[in-house]
This record gives sequence, structure tokens and C-alpha cells, in this order.
Amino acid sequence: MTAISLGGNNVKKRRPANSIISALPWIGPAILLILLVVVWPAIELIRISLTKISSAGALEGFNGLGNYKLLFENPDLKTIAIRTVTWVLSVVFLTVIISLPLAQLINQSFPGRKFVRWAMIVPWAASVVMTSIIWKWMLELTSGEFNLTLRQLGIQKGQPVDWLRDPRYSFFVLIWVAVFVSIPFTTFVILAGLQSIPHDIIEAAQVDGASSWQVYRRIKFPLLRNSLLIATIINLINVFNSFPIIWALTRGGPGYNTDTTTTFAYKMAFVEYNMGPSTALGVINFGFIMLIVLIYLRVTKATRDQA
Amino acid sequence: MKKIGLRRLSAIAAVSLSATVLSVMPAHAATTIKIITPNYTDAMPAYYADLNARFEAANPGIKVEHTNLSWDDILVKGRTLVATNSTPDIMNLNTFSDYAAQDLLYKATDIFDAKTLADFVPAFIDNSKYNGTAYAVPDLASARMFFYNKKILYTSGVNKVPTTWDEVTAAAKKIKAKYPNVYPIAIPLGSEEAQGEFAIWAGGNGGRYFDDASKKWVINSKANVETLKYLTGLVKAGLTQPSPASTNRTDAFKLFSQGKVGMINASVFFPSTLKDYKSKVDYGVAPFPHSATGKSITLGVQDYFMAFKKPGNADAVKAWMNFLFSPSNYAAFLKAAGGFIPATKSASSAVDSSLLPFINQLPNAIFYPGDLAAWPKVAGTITTQVGTGVIYDAKGVLDKIQKVAVAAGTK
Repeated sequence: MTAISLGGNNVKKRRPANSIISALPWIGPAILLILLVVVWPAIELIRISLTKISSAGALEGFNGLGNYKLLFENPDLKTIAIRTVTWVLSVVFLTVIISLPLAQLINQSFPGRKFVRWAMIVPWAASVVMTSIIWKWMLELTSGEFNLTLRQLGIQKGQPVDWLRDPRYSFFVLIWVAVFVSIPFTTFVILAGLQSIPHDIIEAAQVDGASSWQVYRRIKFPLLRNSLLIATIINLINVFNSFPIIWALTRGGPGYNTDTTTTFAYKMAFVEYNMGPSTALGVINFGFIMLIVLIYLRVTKATRDQA
Repeated sequence: MKKIGLRRLSAIAAVSLSATVLSVMPAHAATTIKIITPNYTDAMPAYYADLNARFEAANPGIKVEHTNLSWDDILVKGRTLVATNSTPDIMNLNTFSDYAAQDLLYKATDIFDAKTLADFVPAFIDNSKYNGTAYAVPDLASARMFFYNKKILYTSGVNKVPTTWDEVTAAAKKIKAKYPNVYPIAIPLGSEEAQGEFAIWAGGNGGRYFDDASKKWVINSKANVETLKYLTGLVKAGLTQPSPASTNRTDAFKLFSQGKVGMINASVFFPSTLKDYKSKVDYGVAPFPHSATGKSITLGVQDYFMAFKKPGNADAVKAWMNFLFSPSNYAAFLKAAGGFIPATKSASSAVDSSLLPFINQLPNAIFYPGDLAAWPKVAGTITTQVGTGVIYDAKGVLDKIQKVAVAAGTK
């Protein structure tokens, strides 16, 4: 008797360890992949940021926080950091504001809806670099379609506007292009949210005499909370990391006038060959992304628990 | 390519494991050399394909893995490969000095015999020296002059091609009065080539980046600040294209080719570029204008071929470099690269007559301090920053660059 019960206890105690071991063949490759492509580069990045590094890229020994010191001594860093925050917040805000009614629109049934949905997804499906280059052509100073049209309509007189090179306009143009490429994904996330709202709730509200604005404001919008949160956070990450739009359209110039911390890190390393501070900024950018990812995990966990 | 190489490598490893069959191994195991070059023109890949095919046929023990890149890409990819220890064997680039300082390069004397070395134009080989030793060889060079649109200039009442800054301003004003939709003078200070554009203007005012006599950076010198202020004046008066700080050289060249620019600083290869653009502009070429106190100069720019030290590659890189610089192959190289100044004396004697005005300018040439290990870093900062001097405070911007240069050192 005793022996049997002991045996039973042992089996119970061993079970957690057992299940992890028996799961290894299945999750092992995934863990290996994560270690290899996420954890290891991150450790390397941090290690290199603590190393003195020549303009030719040779590692010249431990440097402590020297690279970070150089980075924070850079007089341009503050402006670039503020611009990065402006860039991320305004692009994400505008994207969400424009996507909400768009999702509403393509949720209606109308002739040609399939075509409109298809057309809407194109800017997302197309390569961002390609989209950026098309915008670059359209906004070109003397031969761009945009300026030519403005002139033909008589709106623009005198010298044409240099949309991409004039620092008074270029940052806003960049924001617009970033919004343009972020809208499709956001709209479709919100559309999925709209489609998951049970129809009977809306019908009940309509029976009670709610106007369509009231239905939207009091029923649909609150139920879109989850999709909005997810769309916002994924956009935050995308827009913060957004490199191709800025690089293809302005290269962050003139000077650092349209740089964000992402393009600035690249520019320091590969245009100015100032490797050290660039690796330090790389670590800071990485930390920032980790922070948003943590918030994302928190939020999705909270919404899951709620459900 | 890579797969076959790996398979062959493992085959060799397997064979060498058994000592009895070692004797069947070829006397010279195939050496593969990796070569990375920029496309001066679209004709370069075809040139190298032919060159490498003939080279491999003549040197059965050597395989060539050649990568042709655009200039934009080579500046990033080429440098990244070195930085990440995936160093190629041979590279063609616009800087060499920090690699020489890092002791990554073969000396020119390791690659070429004295006779071949003596054939390089002395001024160009001098620019390829680090601490007095040549670690690279020049492949071609360019000089710059003042290009103007004849029709625009003459019909605006400018009777004499401007030779001084004051005359440039006066001519620009006349052009603007006559042709409101033409940019009288293009000043591309965008990141593509700002270091060259500023150097040639400053040079005409006695300004330099580096003072050879005192071995000091002089980027924020009085002469340079004056120059940037003069350029700012042109910009503020609306005599240039809009936003010079973000106009790249290529953009400005295109505007000139469309007849939308009156005057421009351009390089020896500009005529062939205009031909590529199918431009109908009738242009003239003159020495570059200077300030009241300065004298006319040209900016000499050269690129380099360099060979990286790697175990076992000495013979192969030596063979390839000598093959490239053999007279007929080098002549074809110059032809494919399109309208540059040759780097060897023997090739100089056979140049096209259109190059002569530029070659005649070479005695007045100033060069970048390309022999300093700090130069790539300083040049990079100048390209991104100097243009903002026409938007903000000229002195402040040059002070900022000077600070970066001083921190980068003078070695």
C-alpha cells in the first residue's frame, strides 16, 4: 500500500518536469530560433555598444559607457528625440482617425465593395520603398505630377514648391506618406473588429430608437476598443522603426532636419562612420521597442482576461 | 557559386583526411578572390564580366567572385563587409586611409613592381599614401570646372563668363531678371557630394579643410566661414535652386540638363552625363570663379584600388591587380568608366581632347586630405552638415564640423 501511494506521489511530482522535457522536441526549434535571431543579436548589440570601435569597424577593446557619453553629448540628439516622438504620435493618431471612418465605409455593402477593399490593401501589400519612391517622383520639384497639377490648376504661381527638400514642408510630407502606408493595415484591423460585433445588439438598439450616430458612439465604438488598442500599438512599433520612408524620400536631411532616432542611428554608422554612438543609440532604440512590446503584451493579456 | 565552393571544400577536406591520396590533389588548390567595385557607369558590369573571364582563363588556379554595386551601396555594403570581418580581397572605393591605419591593406609595393608604380601620376600616388607609404593605387581622377548654359548666359546680357564671385552674383541677377523660371546658379549641398561642392567654392577663397603645414583641421577658418556666407547670400537672394542643403548633385545635374540652370560646378565626366540625359543644352566650360582675394582652383578627386591582406591571397590579388592595370585592360576600364582623367602617365598621353581643359587645370588642383585615417569620418560629417550652413548660422555649422574633425584626430 505504502509503496504504491509513494509511487503515485512521485509520478504526480515529476509530471511538470516531464511535460517540459516531452514538449522540448516541439518547442525546441522555436526556442533555438528565438535565441539565435533575437537574443543573441541583442546581446551582441549591447556588447558592441560597450566597446570602442574604429571608423573602419574594428573593435578596439572595452570602452565602458564611452559610446553613450558621446551620444548624449551630441547637440542634435535632443531635437531628433523630440522629432521622433512627434513623428510617432502624429502618424499613429492621424492613421487611426482616418482609418475609423474608412473601416465603417468598407463595412457597408455597396456595389464594387470588393474592388474598393482590394484597392485599399495595395499600399500595404506593396513594398514601402516602392511606395516611397513613387511619392518621391510625384513630389519632385520641376517634373513631379503634384507640382505640375497645381500649376495647371493655377493654384501654384511663381517658383514651384520643393516639397521634399524644403525643411518647412518635408517633415509633413513624410508624416503624410507614413499615414498613407499605415492606413490599410489599421483599417482592416478595425474592419475585423466591426465584423465581430454581434448584429443583434445593433438591431436591439435600433428597435429602441437609437440614431445611427448613437449606435456608433454608444455601441460600435466601445466594442472596437480591443482592435483599436492592437492597431495603435502595432502601429507605434511600425512607425517608430520606419526607416525606408524617411530614407527614400529625404535621407533625414537637410542636415538632421527630418531624422528620427532610427535613421539617425543608421546615418551615424554608415554616412558619418561614427560607429560608437550609433551602437549606443541602437541599444536605446531597442530598449524603447521592448517597452512598447511589454505594453502590448500587458494590454492583450488584459483584454484576454476580460474576455 | 557558394554551394559549389562549399562542396569542393568539403571534398578537399575529405581527401586530405586520407594521407595516401594526398598526392592526387592539384599542386595549386583553387583560390577564390572576392572583388567589390562601384559602377561608374552602367557599362562597368559588362567590362568586369569580360575582364574576369579572360583573367580566369589565363590563371586557372584563381576564381573571381565579383560584385558590382552602385556608389550608394558600396559606401554602405563595402564598409559593412570590412567592419564585420567579411572583408573582400580587392575593393575600389573613394577612401582607403582608415583601412591602411588599421593595417588591413597590402602596400602598393607588395602588389606592383617599381616600373608599373612609376607609371602612376605622381600627385595621385602621393594621395594614396598613409604615413608616407602607398597602401592603395589611384584608378582614375576627376577635376572640376565651371559649366554654363551658353544661351541663357548670352541672352541675359552677360558678355563675359564670370571669373570672380562678384561677377557670378552680377551674372546671376541678370539671368534672374531675364528668365524668372531659370535657377541662375545651382549649388548642390545635399549629402551626395556636399564635401566637394563646398571645397571648390572655399578653395577659390583660399579655404581648405586641413592645413598641411600645421597639420591641423581648419574647417571653421575665416576663409571657409566667408565662403559659406557668400553662398548663403546667393541662396537668400533667390539666385539658386530652392533648398540647396538637400539638393543632391545628381538633382542639380538633371536641372542643368533640362536647361533650367544657368551656371554649375561640375566634374570632368559631366559632358558624358549630359549625353546620357539626351540634353540639348549648349554649354561652355571655364575655370572656376574665385573670391576677390583668392585664385581659381580646381578640386582634384581620385578613387582607389586597394587589396586586403588575407592569408593565402597574396599571389591572386597581385595577379588580378596587374591584369587590370595592364595597358589594354586599363584603357578599356577608363572607357567603361566614362570620361575620367587617367591615373597613369601612359594612358594620359592618349586621352580624348575634351579632357584637356581639365587636365590643364590639375596644377591648380587642391585635394581632400584623403591620406588621413580620420578623413572618411570627417568627410561623412561634412556631407550631412555643411549644407545646413545656408539655412542656419554658417559659423555655428562649421564650428560643429570642426569639433567632430578635431575629435577624429589628425593621423
